[in-house]
Amino acid sequence: MTVPLFLNALERTGLSTWLRESESVFGFYFILVFHTIGLALVVGPNAAIDLRILGVAAEIPLPPLRNWFTLMWLGLGINIVSGVFLVLAYPSKAFTNPDFYLKLALVGFAIWNLRRMKQQLFDDSDQAEAATLARGRRLAVWSLILWGGVITAGRLLAYTCSYLVYGVPC
Amino acid sequence: MDFPHLHLLLNHFPIIGTMLGVGLFLTSIVVKNRDLQISSLVVFVAMALLTIPAFITGVGAQEKIVADGGISNELIQRHEGSAELSVWFMEITGALAVIALWQFVRRRTPARSNTFAILIFSVLTVGLMARTGNTGGEIRHLEIRSAEEGTIADSALSYFEPSPAKFTRLMIINKWWWAFMMDMHFIGLVLLIGTIGMLNLRVLGFAKQVPIGALNRLVPWGLAGFGLNVVTGMLAFIGMPTFYSHDIAFVLKIAAIVLAVTGMGLFYLTGAFRDCEGLGSGKDAPLRARIIAGTTLVLWFAIIVLGRYIQPLQDSIAR
Repeated sequence: MTVPLFLNALERTGLSTWLRESESVFGFYFILVFHTIGLALVVGPNAAIDLRILGVAAEIPLPPLRNWFTLMWLGLGINIVSGVFLVLAYPSKAFTNPDFYLKLALVGFAIWNLRRMKQQLFDDSDQAEAATLARGRRLAVWSLILWGGVITAGRLLAYTCSYLVYGVPC
Repeated sequence: MDFPHLHLLLNHFPIIGTMLGVGLFLTSIVVKNRDLQISSLVVFVAMALLTIPAFITGVGAQEKIVADGGISNELIQRHEGSAELSVWFMEITGALAVIALWQFVRRRTPARSNTFAILIFSVLTVGLMARTGNTGGEIRHLEIRSAEEGTIADSALSYFEPSPAKFTRLMIINKWWWAFMMDMHFIGLVLLIGTIGMLNLRVLGFAKQVPIGALNRLVPWGLAGFGLNVVTGMLAFIGMPTFYSHDIAFVLKIAAIVLAVTGMGLFYLTGAFRDCEGLGSGKDAPLRARIIAGTTLVLWFAIIVLGRYIQPLQDSIAR
């Protein structure tokens, strides 16, 4: 597979080079720290809500969990920004790896699923809890599958790349 | 303070502490004393926790002393093999003790089968740890080395002990196995933050409408995530021990884990949790609970940050 030239051009920009090569603690790994914290903030509370919907800790009232979405959107924001920087540091590595597209697709589905969960289970507050739960079960299972897939695909990025930077194999 | 010092400071805890724990545990069964049994379980959990740094500092200590003349690497390997076996028994005992503590709260008394399992595993741990201490002592203390090759029990046990070199190779031989362990490490992280982290946030006042007692019911899932991370983390350490032991981020991460678990222990044992367990929707937790929850939460996130810096900070501790 030929690597598009613009990826090389992107790699040679000052920001990309700095992110990759800086010895500073605020370089690449600083971004990675934010990406991991963002992951914890999005998937952590979402997994807890999924467990609750699936019957764990049934004493927890569902409606106040609505507030957790603020935290999840914050985590999502952190991860979109930090994710862009991570791709900017290693564009050839990302865009030549099929696993990267798989991860993006899974992220897309997971967010879509999360939004549906919010709309169907939390925004429509006048329905009975039993009805809410019945509707939520499928979404909760998908949420666990999709986020598990996102994490796995993300982890695998490090083991499946074909180029580190333009012209340099992994 | 270096690894040999730290190792000597820490390595007596798992042996003596577990013996003490077994003594308390047996007494509590005989005299049927609930508080005594809870104390013995707390001792087991504390020892399982301290075993982790005791094990890890051993690798650093080994590297320091093999440079000295007159030290038999064979004896060190035997000690390490013994440690690698006893550590798992210790961690299983600790995990069973956590389950029993949870059962004390939820069902008033632990399941009989669990009490039995703790008894078996803690007694086995005492034996294995004693052997680990003995083989460790023989590295330096010529006077305790026996003239002829050990007893039947000794040779039987060494049959079960992993060869440290083989175990290490097993962990890193396949990159997909490594990738799988790291994947599980992240899943564990998510479970921990999603449950224990959210409980801490609630105690601090975030999303106050959620009652604390109800939220606490999610904690076993966080503990399971933590257990998953202890297992995958220790396997990773066994795979590349000298990579991790020369890394300041890793050493600080382990210290932060010990502190975070201690914080969690304080939360439940000091009564901080009892103070806010009954608090309903919208009620603020008392200051003591908030201080402990806040400190622990900061530590969990520090552990994530330090874990991320392990890779760039490799070799940050001189070889």
